[in-house]
Amino acid sequence: MKYPVQDGFPNDSGSGLGSAESTLRLIAALPAPAGLEERVNAGLHVRQRTGRVLAWPAVLRFDSAWMRTAAAAAIVSVVVGGGWGIYAHVQPSQSAKGVAAPPHVASPVGGFSSAGAMRTPNTLNGQVVALPATAQKQPVKAGGNITARTAQTPPRHNKLAAADKAVAPAAK
Amino acid sequence: MSTSQAIYAGWMEIPFSAVNDKARTQAEEETLAALVSQYAGTLYRVAFSVLRNPSDAEDAVQETFLRVLRHRDTLDEVRDQRVWLIRIVWNIVLDRKRRAKTRPETDDVSELARVLPAKGLSAEQIASAAQHHAHVLACVDRLPAKERQVLMLSAFEELTSVEIASVLGITESSVRSRLFRARNLMAGLLQHTRT
Repeated sequence: MKYPVQDGFPNDSGSGLGSAESTLRLIAALPAPAGLEERVNAGLHVRQRTGRVLAWPAVLRFDSAWMRTAAAAAIVSVVVGGGWGIYAHVQPSQSAKGVAAPPHVASPVGGFSSAGAMRTPNTLNGQVVALPATAQKQPVKAGGNITARTAQTPPRHNKLAAADKAVAPAAK
Repeated sequence: MSTSQAIYAGWMEIPFSAVNDKARTQAEEETLAALVSQYAGTLYRVAFSVLRNPSDAEDAVQETFLRVLRHRDTLDEVRDQRVWLIRIVWNIVLDRKRRAKTRPETDDVSELARVLPAKGLSAEQIASAAQHHAHVLACVDRLPAKERQVLMLSAFEELTSVEIASVLGITESSVRSRLFRARNLMAGLLQHTRT
């Protein structure tokens, strides 16, 4: 499908439709006001002279040799100054031989020491816990409540010992 | 010649002198003045077609050449200076139009009555013509932006569809299809306002 560019409006039979484009053409063909070029040129001249357009002055342009030399010198001085600053402020590290380590004070009761942060457990040189004499463990029988039975009935060897005590005076 | 020697030679051999600088500045000014005398009128008409105010249009032309002044170093790289300048002024006026408030139709009527040619017309005819033109422009303003831009630029007889495409940054086929749509929409709008 071709779209005509300058052929006027479609369905131009209605009055006023064609005149719409003629209006646009009329406005597009309006002459520029008199003295426009002079005013524009004068405006440009003023802007150039007053430096309102951002541009380096000709003296400070990087085309000039001395400006380039100054820029190079500034870069070199910044690099050298920075290097010297780093060199002057950073101290050389001490050798390993010179480092004095704090003596480790072992606490007799263990715990954390202040220097070495080493914990000494007190299980070896601390108090020895005396284990109380406890009854021998009974084998667990299935289905029975052992604790209840042991509490109610004394063990068998205790019974025999009691019987021996009772018989012994009678035999005497 | 080693690489370092070549770099050093290139560094040192950049030509510079106050005479060269002055001559270059003068040449740039002459080029700019030539551009102004050649294209200021065209740019003004493009600006006026959008802004519809003589002083605003003149400001836009001034700003266009200020931008050219800023980019004067790249002037040699521009292939078509006319289209390039129209593109600059087009962007400027669209930006201004976007920022400005909507222009009332009565302003257009009075402005058009003042600037349109009125040879051999009575005062009534001038007023009537101005009113008609303002009404047409109000209909143009109601078009979608893409269609409106193409329609307005197509009114400039010195611009081909290829150049319009270059100004708007679209393809030529897009220009043609947008223009077709714009004309249909415009016809509908005018028909609607008549009834």
